[in-house]
Amino acid sequence: MPKLIIDDITVEVAEGTTVLEAAQAVDIPIPHFCWHPALGKAGACRACAVKMLEGPVKGIQMSCMLPVQDGMVVSTTDPEAVAMRRHIIEWLMINHPHDCPVCDEGGECQLQDFTIAAGHGIRRYSGKKRTHVNQDLGPFIQHEMNRCIQCYRCVRYYQEYAGGTDFGVMGSAGRVYFGRFQDGELESPFSGNLVDICPTGVFTDKTARFRARYWDYEMAPSVCSGCSLGCNTTPVARYRELLKITARKNEAVNGWFICDRGRFSNSAVNDPQRPRTPLVDGRESTRDEALEALALRIAETEQLYGTGSIAIVGSSRLALEAALLLPQLAQLTSAGALCYFTSEEERATTTSHLGLLSGGTSASQQEIRESDCIVVSGCDPLQDAPMLALAVRQAWRDGATVYVVGDGIVLPCEFTAVAAVDAVPLAAAKKPVLICSASCNSDHPAGLLVQHSQLKLAVIFPAANSYGAAQLAGEQGGVSLERAVASGKIKGIISVEADIPAHLLAGIPFVAALDWRMTETVRAAQIFLPTTAWVEMDGTSINNEGRAQRFKKVMNPGLPIRGLDPAGHPPHLHRTVPPGGEAQPAWQTLALLIERVSGEPVTEPFSGRWERLRGLDAGSEGVMIHDL
Amino acid sequence: MEQILFRHNRPGRCVTFAEYQGEGGFVALKKALSGMSPDEVQQAVIDSGLRGRGGAGFPTGKKWSFVPRNLTGPRWLICNCDEMEPGTYKDRILLEANPYSLVEGMVLACYAIGVRHSFIFIRRGYEQAAANLRRAIAEATAAGLLGENIQGSGFSCDIDVHVSAGRYICGEETALMNALEGKRANPRAKPPFPAIKGLWGGPTVVNNVESLANIPAIIAQGPRWFKGTAATPEASGMKLFCVSGHVATPACFELPLGMTLGEIIDGPCGGMRPGSNFKACLPGGASTPYFTPAHLGVPMDFDPVAKAGSRLGTGGIVVFDQHTCMVAATLNLVKFYARESCGWCTPCREGLPFVVHLLEQIESGQGSEEHITILKEHVQYLNYAFCALAPGAMGPVDGLLRHFEDEVREHIITGKCPCRS
Repeated sequence: MPKLIIDDITVEVAEGTTVLEAAQAVDIPIPHFCWHPALGKAGACRACAVKMLEGPVKGIQMSCMLPVQDGMVVSTTDPEAVAMRRHIIEWLMINHPHDCPVCDEGGECQLQDFTIAAGHGIRRYSGKKRTHVNQDLGPFIQHEMNRCIQCYRCVRYYQEYAGGTDFGVMGSAGRVYFGRFQDGELESPFSGNLVDICPTGVFTDKTARFRARYWDYEMAPSVCSGCSLGCNTTPVARYRELLKITARKNEAVNGWFICDRGRFSNSAVNDPQRPRTPLVDGRESTRDEALEALALRIAETEQLYGTGSIAIVGSSRLALEAALLLPQLAQLTSAGALCYFTSEEERATTTSHLGLLSGGTSASQQEIRESDCIVVSGCDPLQDAPMLALAVRQAWRDGATVYVVGDGIVLPCEFTAVAAVDAVPLAAAKKPVLICSASCNSDHPAGLLVQHSQLKLAVIFPAANSYGAAQLAGEQGGVSLERAVASGKIKGIISVEADIPAHLLAGIPFVAALDWRMTETVRAAQIFLPTTAWVEMDGTSINNEGRAQRFKKVMNPGLPIRGLDPAGHPPHLHRTVPPGGEAQPAWQTLALLIERVSGEPVTEPFSGRWERLRGLDAGSEGVMIHDL
Repeated sequence: MEQILFRHNRPGRCVTFAEYQGEGGFVALKKALSGMSPDEVQQAVIDSGLRGRGGAGFPTGKKWSFVPRNLTGPRWLICNCDEMEPGTYKDRILLEANPYSLVEGMVLACYAIGVRHSFIFIRRGYEQAAANLRRAIAEATAAGLLGENIQGSGFSCDIDVHVSAGRYICGEETALMNALEGKRANPRAKPPFPAIKGLWGGPTVVNNVESLANIPAIIAQGPRWFKGTAATPEASGMKLFCVSGHVATPACFELPLGMTLGEIIDGPCGGMRPGSNFKACLPGGASTPYFTPAHLGVPMDFDPVAKAGSRLGTGGIVVFDQHTCMVAATLNLVKFYARESCGWCTPCREGLPFVVHLLEQIESGQGSEEHITILKEHVQYLNYAFCALAPGAMGPVDGLLRHFEDEVREHIITGKCPCRS
């Protein structure tokens, strides 16, 4: 590994590392705009200038363009390097408007930070600032071209990384313009990453416009619940409202980016119709009253219909903590069925695909990005797990061949359509990956895994914690609610964040629901207890690879201040929780119920083989559960 | 005086294929293909001391030698005819008079480097030159001097004429390759250099029109003869000097490298215009620092001009007389570069308009002493731009501040341009 000296600190880094990254590795920040870890070097902004004092190259160099070599002596503090960086900022600020007070990027703006860092302060240019006309880029992204510092990150991301074709750079010299040919919604399903990747305020989240400053944000590391991939996010909240969701880096999973569906998915959390108060027979009540009524009704149902008449129903969107407590509740209530799935088909296909993934055969998004041969079989990644499609594109950019089995599939890269997986030269590939869907019930992959020991599978599951649900269903002998109800025994259902179709609820005399969404089940329930959404709690989910990931509480539950009826303000009641703030994580409600029924308090959902998940760090890459 | 490139010229019209052939045209091609190995052709060009005529003066044969040998996959030759440097029009004059030397030179270069397909990337405005080239290519192909199995040698090569969409930056060889590939004409990062990874990722040589057009003479008459056509022992070959400005007879002349600036102005140019005195000149196109009367004795060859603080560049000499305001002249040049920046890197895109603004202020009498300081900073820090455009653009500003700082200061002190009444 090459060894070099940066500002008197000896650094040893891997071959191919740039001087910029080597400096970062020893906490020497070098200003940069165009360089981005996911996009690589461009050499456009020239802000990362350093002075090379010794070694194969001398003088002022761009640290992002320079691979480290043995014997380099680098100064970031040399007066000429400092002056160069100051000039860069001076040049950029010739045209960048001083509109920080009304810019949504203010406070989280790389240009602000590096302007301060570079030491440019007094304007020496006396001419006018350049102005542009902005474009309407659709409902999600605000365009403000005057702020552009032409780092080319947006176009490099949008066209090269994401494969978008409707956004680019036009014009030349001081008139370069980053936008679309004409106004219109950005077509790429990954366009929201422009907001994250722009080092200043050209692209901002339109849905969160003018709502909060960076220093007001409540935020924490989280995991997207939009599909089974478990991409890492940092949701941002203020005043009990989920304002926006940003991408969080996890090299093993989503890399640096997320899809638009995951990013612009805050409406369910903020929904004013969200059920936030415990209900007993339609009456608002306290949590204790509801729990008391629930325990009583469970006993009554058993008395009336005999043991085994209760079904405990979880779901594939339920966090692992609550899912782990369901067997205990089932046991205590002598439940006739423990269900992690409502549909038998979903249970069967999810379980059978889970069986394929035991023993390290699952491919992470990173492994897809690094694959040399990818087969997309019987599924539509762009539709059901968009970031997989983006990962496939990265592999393709690196020279992988991509094959698609099935019609009507669109991918953001070139591919070869084949009639069947047999037509793909898998044996010749070094790191082949097969992408399939758990909803497609074919036993094909099992045979392929036997034939090709190097083959890895990326299975698209129906929901965020499908893997966890299927794992527990397998361990705990869970059945589908559909089967349980068909037996005719079930007279009471306790639904924990389950989406039970109306026909399964018909004829069930007693329904209780724990949920944070307004669903058919919640409407049908006689007893309802509100739970927190994923951003309002610490929790764990297991993604499609079998990777357990921790998400942290971002905000307190409660009716967003924006949604409050002004007529009721100021509130005349003294209260200790905010309006609509009674919700608690489903596992805690379940723990209270278990305590009420059994007399034994439950303080920790993780026990037995799951104990190792207790200290799982939300900032880590997660833990593969077959390693537990 | 002996001529190499202009020896076939006819007054007022383009030389014909038959005339060119009748005067020794394509002899070099036949000689090389029948009796010389590609390495021998390359060696002859190295021995001739031919230096690139596009501006940078890099030895042509050496450039060829960087192309890796024994490499599978296509390699490319591109003739850079995107001549857009203000004050430079030699390639146009040459191609309007004689496109055949270039065609023959390109076949020889292709043979030496092992290229099957080559391109002429030509500036949009050069319609006549492009038409001449297309005709010359068709005639040469019909005569078996281009295309499949040339002269029965087993060697095949084609030439495509690609008309540029037209921007100055397209003349930068990596931006040119991007343009040829249908991308934005932004320069590429080096390394990798084009000889290793160029057009469509293949090894690529980019040579100027004039460099390639000299190859037939080198092969036909030998490298030693070619070298000897220069005016000094250090120089090699002839050079097209295109002179404009306040001389009596501005034109494009083929002259031995190493003639002094004074000899060129007083000789072929017929001296200064009546009433004009030599004040300054751009010695090699718009991106070169000014020469003053003190430089009239400098031999016009790459090294001596560099030693004297400027660059031979393209050989486009623009002469200014005593009535020329050097601030205004410089402003005019930098305006061109500010407009032609591709917009990729910060120093060029933002720095050049800043320089334009400062020079406008000074020229209009609004300048201050601080402006000189800022201009000097720009001369220094625009060197760290992505490609050579911005450093080149600062050439005349550098010259202005080195040789005419007093004139700049006079603008500032008197609050007006001293050259305007």
